[in-house]
Amino acid sequence: MEFLTHDILIIGGGLAGLRAAIEAQKAGRDVAILSKVHPLRSHSVAAQGGINSAFDNIPVPTNDSWENHSFDTIKGSDYLADQDAVEVMCREGIERVIEMEHWGTLFSRTEDGRIAQRPFGGSGFPRTCYAADRTSHNLLHVLYEQVVGLRIPVYEEWHALSLVVDEGQCIGVLAFPLFEERTVPIRAEATILATGGYGRIYLRSTNAIINTGKGCYLAYQVGVPLEDMEFVQFHPTSLFGTNILITEGARGEGGYLVNVKGERYMERHAPHLMELGPRDIVARATQREIDEGRGFEGQYVHLDLRHLGRGKIMDHLPGIRQIAMDFAGIDPILNPIPIQPAQHYSMGGIPTNVDGETPLPGLYAAGECACVSVHGANRLGGNSLLETLVFGARAGRKAASNVKRKKRESNPLAFQKQSEAFQSCLHELSSRQEGEPCFRLRDELKTLMTDQVGIFRRESDLLSAKEKIRELKERFGRIGLKQKNLDFNNEWIQYLELEGMLHVAEVITEGALTRKESRGSHFRTDYPDRDDEHWLRHTLAYKTTEGARLEYKEVTITNYPPKERTY
Amino acid sequence: MRKLTVMDTSALILKIKRYNPEKDPPRWTETFNVETKKGMNLLEALLRIQDEQDPTLSFRYSCRGAVCGSCAMKVNGKLVLACRTPVEGLLGETTLIEPLPFFPVIRDLIVDMSLFFEHYRGIEPYLHGKPIPSDCEYMMMESERKEIDPYIQCILCGICFGVCPAFGRDAQFLGPAILAKAYRFLRDPRDRREKEILNGVNDHRGVWGCNTVFQCVKACPKEVPPTHAIVKMRGRILRYRFTSLFSRFLSMSRRIGSR
Repeated sequence: MEFLTHDILIIGGGLAGLRAAIEAQKAGRDVAILSKVHPLRSHSVAAQGGINSAFDNIPVPTNDSWENHSFDTIKGSDYLADQDAVEVMCREGIERVIEMEHWGTLFSRTEDGRIAQRPFGGSGFPRTCYAADRTSHNLLHVLYEQVVGLRIPVYEEWHALSLVVDEGQCIGVLAFPLFEERTVPIRAEATILATGGYGRIYLRSTNAIINTGKGCYLAYQVGVPLEDMEFVQFHPTSLFGTNILITEGARGEGGYLVNVKGERYMERHAPHLMELGPRDIVARATQREIDEGRGFEGQYVHLDLRHLGRGKIMDHLPGIRQIAMDFAGIDPILNPIPIQPAQHYSMGGIPTNVDGETPLPGLYAAGECACVSVHGANRLGGNSLLETLVFGARAGRKAASNVKRKKRESNPLAFQKQSEAFQSCLHELSSRQEGEPCFRLRDELKTLMTDQVGIFRRESDLLSAKEKIRELKERFGRIGLKQKNLDFNNEWIQYLELEGMLHVAEVITEGALTRKESRGSHFRTDYPDRDDEHWLRHTLAYKTTEGARLEYKEVTITNYPPKERTY
Repeated sequence: MRKLTVMDTSALILKIKRYNPEKDPPRWTETFNVETKKGMNLLEALLRIQDEQDPTLSFRYSCRGAVCGSCAMKVNGKLVLACRTPVEGLLGETTLIEPLPFFPVIRDLIVDMSLFFEHYRGIEPYLHGKPIPSDCEYMMMESERKEIDPYIQCILCGICFGVCPAFGRDAQFLGPAILAKAYRFLRDPRDRREKEILNGVNDHRGVWGCNTVFQCVKACPKEVPPTHAIVKMRGRILRYRFTSLFSRFLSMSRRIGSR
C-alpha cells in the first residue's frame, strides 16, 4: 500500500480549514488540505453580511469593547455558550479581522477610511464588518490567495472515507480522489476536521448542496461524541423557492419584515430590537406569522427594502439584489423580497477545547463542524465567520505545536483493514441490482426533518421522526448501486454521505426529544420555557448500535450569570 | 409542506454531450426528458437526471446560488452557470448542453481547469502589502474601494476563458479573469507592487494578447469587466514607456547641454 504522509492533514477547504492550514504551515509544519471541492467552491463563499469585531469604528464612536461583544454573544446563546471560549473569540477576533484586512480583504469603509461596521441582530453596537454583502466571498478568496502564496498543497476533489484510529490515536485518513480508481491512505500526526455543516439533511436550507455533515459523522463514527446537535439555527430570511440566503445585513441596513396585512410584525415579538432581534426569535416570529395565516400564499412574508432607496441598495446590498433578480425575478429596489425561514447553521458539532482539540488524541476540529461552544443555543449573525478565523488559527497552531519531531511508526494494518472493508462494501452494494436508490431515502429524510424537527418541536413529532429515521436506517441496509467502479461514482458518494446524514439526523432528533425545555433555537411547544435548573448543560451524543446515547456536561460560566433573555 | 405545482407547459428536453474515455465510442450525445416545476433551474434539472435517470451523468456543483463558480457550461451555445439558468426559458424545444469550451474534458460536463489555476498562481495573486503596524487597518477611502470592487466579484468560474477569442492565437494567453485579478492588485492602494505587476502582463501572453472585443465582459455572470482592466493596464504601460523615453531624452539633452 502506497502511503501519503503529512504532519498535519486538514479536511475541508473553507475558511476554518484554510486558516488552520496557514497557521500550521507558518509554524514550519508539513501541511496539506483535502477537500471534496476546489477550496473556492466551499460553502464559506456564500456568507454575506459580515464578521463581528469590536473595533468601535462606526459611525460615531460608541465605546464598544470585546467584553460587550462577549456579553451579546452569551446572551444570544441563551447562556449555553462556554463563556471562556466566547471571551477568547471576541478578544482575539479583533486581531484576526485586521489580519484579513492586511491580507487584502476589501472591507467597506467609513468616511475616514477605516473598516465600516453595520448593525446586526442581537448586538448592542454596530460591530459587523462587511465587504458590501459579499463579505465571505471576499474572505475566502483572500485566504485561498494566502494558501497559494504559501504553496500549501491541496488534494482537490478528494473524498475522506474514514478516520483511521490506532491505539486510541487518530493516525490519519483513508481517502480517494473522486476521479480515480483507488483509495489512498494518508498518514498524519494531526488531522483537523473543518468540514462545515449538515444543512442538506433539511428540505429547506440555505446551505450549499455539498453540506451533508460528513465531517461530524467521520468523528462520530470513531467514537467521538457530538455536542449540542439539537441546536439548529433557522435563518429568518431565505429566498422563497430556492431558500438562498438573504443576509441579515438587509435588516441591518434598515429593511422591514412585513406580513400580508402590511404589519411590521416584529413589533409584537421584539419591540425594542424589532427586525434586528436575534435569529431564533425572528425566525420563530416569521414562521408563526406564516402558520397563523398572515403570510402570502400561506408560505412566505415580505422583506421590504424599498424605503432604503436605490443608492443604499446598490452600494451595500448589491449581491442581494442580484440574487433576488436571478432567482426570484424581483428587483428589491422596486418590489419586496418574498422570504421564509430555512435551516441555516449548526450550533452543535464535534466538541473541542479552545485549541481545537477533540476528545480523540490527534484529531482536531474547527469551524461549523466543531462545537467549542461559542454559540450555545443560538448563534448571532456575524459570529460564524469570526469563529472560523479565530479557532481555525488556534487549531492550526495547537496541532503544529503538538506534532512531535520524532514520528511514531503508524500501523499500516489499520489502514489496510479499512480499505478492504470499503472495497467489499462497494462490491456488495453494486451486486444488489434491485436495491432501493439513495435519493429516495435522502428526500424522505429531508422532508421529515423540516416537518418534524424544525423550528417548532413537540414530543409526538419528534417520536415519529425518531421512528422514521430508524426505518430509513434499515432501508439504508438494502440500498443497491448500479456502478461498481470507484471513480466518478456519484451513487457511491451519495451513499457514503447519506449514511452520515441519517446518523446526524438521529442525533439531532434524540437530543431534541430528550431536552424538555426551550432554549435559543430549540423550541418545544410542549415545554415553552427555559429550564436552567435541569437543562443548563451541554448534550453529548455517543454512537451505539441502538442509536445515540446521551450524556451531559456542565456549561462554563465566567462573568455572565444566566438571566432572562428579552430584546 | 405544500407541494410545488407541476407546470402545465411541455417538458424540458436536454440533449447532453457525454464523454467517457473508457467507453466506445468515448463521445456521444444523450437526450433526457425532465419533469419541471415552478422556479426550477438547470442545475436542479441535471441533479434530477442524476438521481432518477442516469447516476453516471457527471457535472460539478456546490452553492446553487451563483457564488461558487462550479457549474459553468455551454447551454444552446451560450456560456452560463447552470444554477443561474431558469428552465422556464428552455421549455418546448431541445436544449443542447455541452461542457465549458477551451478546457480539456475529463468526464461529461466536468472540465480540467488546471491551466486556469496555473495562470492564476503565476501572477502571485495575493496582496504584497506595504509595511504597516499589525494592530491597525490600512486607511482606504470608499472611492478607492469602489474602484476595485467590480474585480473582486470574480468567482473564477472559467466562463471568460471559454468565450475569449485570444486563446485561438496563443493558448498561453493569461486570460481575462487572470488579468482582471492582476488589475485588482495593481489598483489596491495597499499593494506595494506596481512595476512588477505591469511587467508581468506586458507582453502577448498578457495585456497585448487581448482582442478587446469584450466577449468576456458580456459573458461574465458576475458583471466583472476584464477588458476594461486590460485597457487601463495598457494605458499605464504606455504612459510608463512615454515617461521613461521622455526622461531619457531629457537626461541626454542635459548631458549634451553640459558639455
